[in-house]
Amino acid sequence: MALTQSGNLAIADILDTRITRLYAFCGVFLILSGMLLGDIFAVFILHPNNARIGDAVYAAAAAIPAGDTDAIMGHFQAIGAFLENRGTKVDAHSHGVAMGYLAVLLAILQPFVAWSTATKLRVAQAFVVCAITLPIAIFTIHYVGLAYSPFVAIGWASIAADAAGFAIAIFVAIHLMGLWRYWRNWRDDYDTADIERPDTLDRASRILFVGGSVLLLVGFLYGAAYAGYSEYTQSPNEVDILSSIVASAMERQSLDADFAAYGGYLAFRGINTAAHAHLNSMAILLLLLALIQPFVFLSDRWKSRWAIIMVVAAAALPVSILLEFKYGLIAGGMADTSGLAAMVALAAMLFGLARKTGALDSD
Amino acid sequence: MHLENRILILSGLSMIAMTMFFGVYYAVFDEHQTLVGMGVAMMNGFVEAAGGDRAAAYAALQQYGEIAAEYKREIHFHGHWGFLSLILILYGLVVHKLGYGRRARAGVAAGLATSATVFPLGVLLQIGPLALLGKVLAVLGTIGLLLAMFVIVIGVLRGHEPYHHS
Repeated sequence: MALTQSGNLAIADILDTRITRLYAFCGVFLILSGMLLGDIFAVFILHPNNARIGDAVYAAAAAIPAGDTDAIMGHFQAIGAFLENRGTKVDAHSHGVAMGYLAVLLAILQPFVAWSTATKLRVAQAFVVCAITLPIAIFTIHYVGLAYSPFVAIGWASIAADAAGFAIAIFVAIHLMGLWRYWRNWRDDYDTADIERPDTLDRASRILFVGGSVLLLVGFLYGAAYAGYSEYTQSPNEVDILSSIVASAMERQSLDADFAAYGGYLAFRGINTAAHAHLNSMAILLLLLALIQPFVFLSDRWKSRWAIIMVVAAAALPVSILLEFKYGLIAGGMADTSGLAAMVALAAMLFGLARKTGALDSD
Repeated sequence: MHLENRILILSGLSMIAMTMFFGVYYAVFDEHQTLVGMGVAMMNGFVEAAGGDRAAAYAALQQYGEIAAEYKREIHFHGHWGFLSLILILYGLVVHKLGYGRRARAGVAAGLATSATVFPLGVLLQIGPLALLGKVLAVLGTIGLLLAMFVIVIGVLRGHEPYHHS
């Protein structure tokens, strides 16, 4: 690693290590893949699956007046499979993005981790394998099932996901120890250095940093308001609505009004949860991208343009999700478009990152 | 690195390691059983109703509601701790450049780290006998997080160059 005259590591040189590049590329790749999966999941799986679950619950309730318990149990088995399908897709999306965030953060932290280069490289390679394995394993849980599993309830895909998660926790603990050694000045011959920040922060970083911080505060406020509303108001909860469905079925009354209430409740909960999660998730992405702007080898004008597009898309995504209450699929399309715009901006920054490493290599 | 950086980065990395360990433990030993319990309780509600036993049906649905609330809290604990730890590390890299004095920055860092630890713990503690303590911790953690984030946003907006106010 090249040091400056003051003995510090210039920020552009942070990328001049195989280890940091490995984390950075793995991180941006995972974030992009996770977002792409989220978009595909929302369009092709989430809405059709919700409709199937609603239909199955309706069919189970309709079987109550006839006392057909076999039919009820059959419908609930189907519901279990639909829920597992949906749940594993959501988890693969969120874990892929979260592992991407973690990888980028570890890339930025590398100069402060006091281990030998060989140790850091081995940990980085193992981390990349596990970080990519985790969302893929979660995604395949629904399809692999319990085939050839030695356990009663847990299949091979779950075992792979758990093993990857456990290994990542160990790798984070190794980084923690490395940071501790750095701060304790344990030894001074490790592969570490202080980062010398540029004298002026470029416009793109400022746009992303301010946008991310404001969005994060809004996300916190929204989450607190939603939690307060659902915890401390007397709004009808799921058990009340299900009890009403059961009562109507036993009295052989129409189930339509109860199921309209149930659908409304599930939509309210799902949309609010998704809006809160995406507000915070996109805010974290903006903050991360603000930190890696010095590594992006594009002109200042284009960096600012991509940063503005990123901030607008990050704000538009949760707003579009919220608008689904009123505008349904139109707002859903807006949310997907916002996600796509964010992915394009992210891909442009990844391109700039690749150009930077190419330039460093040619030097 | 300054004290405020160390507070946030150390607590963030510690939290991320712990929430990963929790996630693995939860996936292996608890999540599957909880999900099966939820499904069986809801199904029992419908089956009891089909048998004409209204009281048993309501009791089963009530049980479903309790297991679903437990599941929600466990998932929220894991998810919130994971994402809050990322936020701690992120601000840990730049907090020394916010437009405040050194003691104020250390105070903000300590407040953010404490609140980010306490809030998800409060959510988890709401399962079981310490539910009241859990609720108090969750509310205090929420207030702490909002205050800390508000102070950070003001610090960011006050300085045109957030890295530049060391």
